[in-house]
Amino acid sequence: MKAMIIDITKCNGCYACQIACKDEHVANDWTPIAKPQPDTGQFWMKTKDIVRGQVPRVKVAYMHHICQHCDEAPCLKACKMGAIYKREDGTVIIDPVKCSGHKLCIDACPYGVIYYNNDLQIAQKCTWCAHLLDKGWKEPRCVDSCPTGALQFGEEEDLKDLIARAEMLLPEANVGPRIYYIGLPKRFVAGGVYDPEEDECVEDATVSLKDAAGKEVATAKTDGFGDFWFDGLGVGVYSMRVEKSGYVPIEIIDISTEQDINIGDLELSKSAQ
Amino acid sequence: MSSDSDARSSQRASEKTVIKGACFSGFGDNSTPTCVDVKDQRIVRIRPLHWDWKYNPKDFNPWKYEARGKTFEPPMKAPVPPFGLAYKKRVYSPNRILFPLKRVDWDPAGAPGSTGPGGRNPQNRGISKYVRMSWDEALDIVAAEIRRVVETYGPEGVLLQAEGHSEGKLIHAPHGCSTHLMNLLGGYTQQIRNPDSWEGWYWGAKHVWGNEPNGCNMQYCSNIYNDVAKNTEMLICQGCDQETTPWGFGGGTLASNLSFWYTDLGIRQIYISPDLNYAAAVHADKWIPVLPNTDVALQLALAYQWIVNGTYDKEYVETHVVGFDKFADYVLGREDGVPKTPKWASEKCGVPSRTIKALAKQWGSKRTTVCHGYGGPYIRGPYSTEPARMEVILLGMQGLGKPGVNQMCWVEGSRIGEAVARARWGRSGIVGAQTPAPILRPDVHAAYRGYIPFMMKQPSMIPKTILHDVIDTGAYDIYGSSDQMDPAEDQFIHYVYPLPGKNEFHMMWCDTPCFSTCWNDGNAYQHSLRNPKIETVLIQHPWMENDCLFADIILPSNTKFETDDLGCDDWPVWYNCVYLEEQAIEPRGDSMSDYEIVVAIADRLGLKEEYTHGKTVDDWIKVGFDGSGMEEAGLCSWEEIQDKQYYVIPTDPDWEKKYPAGMIQFYEDPEKYPMTTPSGKLEFYSQRLAENFPDDMERPPVPHWIERSEFHDERLSGERAKKYTLLVCSNHPRWRVHAQMDDVNWFHEIETGKVIGPDGYHYEPVWLHPSEAKKRGIESGDVVTIFNERGKLLGGAYVTERLMPGVIYIDHGARYDPIVPGEFDRGGAINTICPRKTTSKNCAGMVTSGFLAEVERTDLDALRKQYPEAFSRPFDRGSGQTFERVLHTGEGTR
Repeated sequence: MKAMIIDITKCNGCYACQIACKDEHVANDWTPIAKPQPDTGQFWMKTKDIVRGQVPRVKVAYMHHICQHCDEAPCLKACKMGAIYKREDGTVIIDPVKCSGHKLCIDACPYGVIYYNNDLQIAQKCTWCAHLLDKGWKEPRCVDSCPTGALQFGEEEDLKDLIARAEMLLPEANVGPRIYYIGLPKRFVAGGVYDPEEDECVEDATVSLKDAAGKEVATAKTDGFGDFWFDGLGVGVYSMRVEKSGYVPIEIIDISTEQDINIGDLELSKSAQ
Repeated sequence: MSSDSDARSSQRASEKTVIKGACFSGFGDNSTPTCVDVKDQRIVRIRPLHWDWKYNPKDFNPWKYEARGKTFEPPMKAPVPPFGLAYKKRVYSPNRILFPLKRVDWDPAGAPGSTGPGGRNPQNRGISKYVRMSWDEALDIVAAEIRRVVETYGPEGVLLQAEGHSEGKLIHAPHGCSTHLMNLLGGYTQQIRNPDSWEGWYWGAKHVWGNEPNGCNMQYCSNIYNDVAKNTEMLICQGCDQETTPWGFGGGTLASNLSFWYTDLGIRQIYISPDLNYAAAVHADKWIPVLPNTDVALQLALAYQWIVNGTYDKEYVETHVVGFDKFADYVLGREDGVPKTPKWASEKCGVPSRTIKALAKQWGSKRTTVCHGYGGPYIRGPYSTEPARMEVILLGMQGLGKPGVNQMCWVEGSRIGEAVARARWGRSGIVGAQTPAPILRPDVHAAYRGYIPFMMKQPSMIPKTILHDVIDTGAYDIYGSSDQMDPAEDQFIHYVYPLPGKNEFHMMWCDTPCFSTCWNDGNAYQHSLRNPKIETVLIQHPWMENDCLFADIILPSNTKFETDDLGCDDWPVWYNCVYLEEQAIEPRGDSMSDYEIVVAIADRLGLKEEYTHGKTVDDWIKVGFDGSGMEEAGLCSWEEIQDKQYYVIPTDPDWEKKYPAGMIQFYEDPEKYPMTTPSGKLEFYSQRLAENFPDDMERPPVPHWIERSEFHDERLSGERAKKYTLLVCSNHPRWRVHAQMDDVNWFHEIETGKVIGPDGYHYEPVWLHPSEAKKRGIESGDVVTIFNERGKLLGGAYVTERLMPGVIYIDHGARYDPIVPGEFDRGGAINTICPRKTTSKNCAGMVTSGFLAEVERTDLDALRKQYPEAFSRPFDRGSGQTFERVLHTGEGTR
């Protein structure tokens, strides 16, 4: 059974995967695997910019949305025409001839990766380029075009080390997706610490982060720019304490991670003594 | 195999795979080879070439880097950026020019400057439309015009605008096939290609360290990636975006892989730029936002910190530097009473003084290399000489050349450095490469039919950056040719135009031009193009874009997919590679390659035999292959490359030992390995500048902070900033190569590709910080107008935290779509409103970033009423522009 690894930490956001998918499927007819994708508007391998944080503590993550080729594919079950099937290699295919455009699969898919082709009146999605795999290709176009190795494809067994440290998208949907993500963006809290009197960044201050229950979830030391980053956080409300010997510690409460947060530059005052 | 042509025609059967290099530098150089699968004369797909397609990897001796206990092995495929993958859209673009065109109200029988019926109507360039011609008619007119102009004004009467950006092609060179023909007619006036993405290095840094020809490090870049991996602790990326420019200019996505690996190795990456550019977005350990074109203030403060704290390499400065004292005088305020402290700098550049101090501390204590994505906003503003010189000085203060301390360009430059060193000084300073060197560096330029910078310079010439002034005033009197390959000494040579006893030019012959959207003050240029003394504007172009709208005659050239050619990846990326570029599809419409067009013109002038040297395209391919030296070296025979289509040159097993890394030789022995400055050392104070330009306050002997001057008033502190309150930051585009590929709608669907307006039009993204957007009532997706005294243009708002407040960010190179030609553009060509004045008085570089403008929300309905024609042109939902929009549909004047 095939599987795909998407390592967000290795993605440079070049969109080669999204473009290669269009190069392969727009205006090319791969029936019985797929009919042509419309010129625009469909993204069987969709890349999305996620801009995280606020000036000057900002990062960009590039998320990838693609058919998960689920083992318990809800689309397959929802289709009344029996047009959706799973191949032995794990690939889920919408038969472009049998599909009669009821859109039930589109509603059933928890990942929102099935598109409707208005001209052809059929549902369409990623095929893992099965027409190429059947001709001996080792990987679909998106993977072949990925310059950084952020995308990998192969036998599940051969990828097991990567899978072991990967996550699935929407695990709660419990549909057995075959796409494994590494480095899915969570939330971060970042900031900087400085001494206003000396006009210097404060290095080696200890910053500790507590969750809403008051439990310490992480600590960090500020770097040479006085910066600290806590990444990989869940959505919630946190509080923070910054301390360094010779300075008055500061506490910050009610830090919401609804979005990634740069809490800004924090003044640390010298202790009276 | 029977014969070459038989073999080729049998492969032209229904299904085949050909190789095409996806480099868009516009020279004969090429890179990032792709495989193109073709079926029934149609391109099916374009995909990266895998080096091991027809070879066993051990045939080409795969290399690897080993550093700090980790290993880097290059991918087994070419690092093809998305441009190559999407290029099918470009080949089949609805904006392709499919047959020769003549401007409907341009009559070659008309007298110069004549208007009305039967006239040349230069005043209507950019406005009037076009009618179809046959090739016969077109060639008759072109040949007659060339002959007439040469007879009337002498060969200097023809200006060849024969360089720029475009596909990398060898025989079918998109630029400069015309030069060889005009040489047969006695010469021409040459538009000189300026160092258009490295202005500051060329006009500034060369006076500190030489480093010819570009002034950024191309002479001493062998094994530099390996040196960084082994020895560097921190990378400073100032105005550097290695995730944009290298994509189209030889590097492909190599920089991505190495930047990720450097992070794995624990090398910190610090990005100093107004925007969180594409490299910073994924590689930055720290982003330091700096106001556009204020970097020199920050740099001066770093020097200040190092001098007052003694945290620079005094011993090195003693032995490798001249003029340190005069430099220190300025930094410490002994010259002008103003110490260049972090507080002083902070007010200029917007970086907190404590951050400047922290940066000085880290740079002063960690082995640091500064890297560049080749050009960038840092080096293309007013007085760009100053930050460029300061950077070399800062590196010099920290022992430039010591392991781990270098300047590194993310575009392979050793080839250019080597070629120039060989041609100019009869020696080659370098023979290695940035990546591990191959056992042979193949050179196929013997077949190049295009323009070669500096090697073919004409006595009559015009720096490109002042072309508009020269047309308007009819003369210039300057120092320095501005030729991107000229040595620093040239900057002290006096040039005049027109040459004594010679005429001005009266005809322009341009191949794939893009001045309006890629050079300086495009609006002024367009006004100049309407000057009545320009009697004929002849343009060859595959696409109906940008300057084509100002032509009198347009000849349809084609893409590399439509010709047989030879390619060579000689900006070595992962591996050097030579490949046959077999024709993929038949030429579209009536198009011909640029070379074939000039052959046809030569034929009309009775010069075909001399022009072609009696050779066919197949003959030239063989000439190029023979020039590579691969057969002589016993590497690859002519038969083998015909059979396999490509050959990967094996890595030199001694690559690491044989080629000293970076500037280590100068570091270890500056007397034996001097720089090409007059003293052979790093010149913090340039005696040569002091002697030649004693009154130049814009490029004084020691780099300075210049608030404003005779040439520029582009600071937030100035009067103009009351009206134009933001500084424009403009980089090389992410989703284009300069002006190329703006009609590829697949890029428009990307978040930062285009903003689809409420009218369905694809607007160029205009980045604004949320605070600036809010002040102006602008939201993401709104159509906005950017403007200053030089004109205005529309864009689509992209409100983002990836940009600091006080700045407008917009890529250059958007397709030009005039609402009012020379005044108002819908396509978002920011270069139409950048400064007319050059870098500074004695530096004819262009200024395309770091200038003032304002932005406001646009009332589209009102505009549509005011300019009904501009807003109702035929429009393709995909590309945005179609060839048909320029066709004359009413009564003809033919």
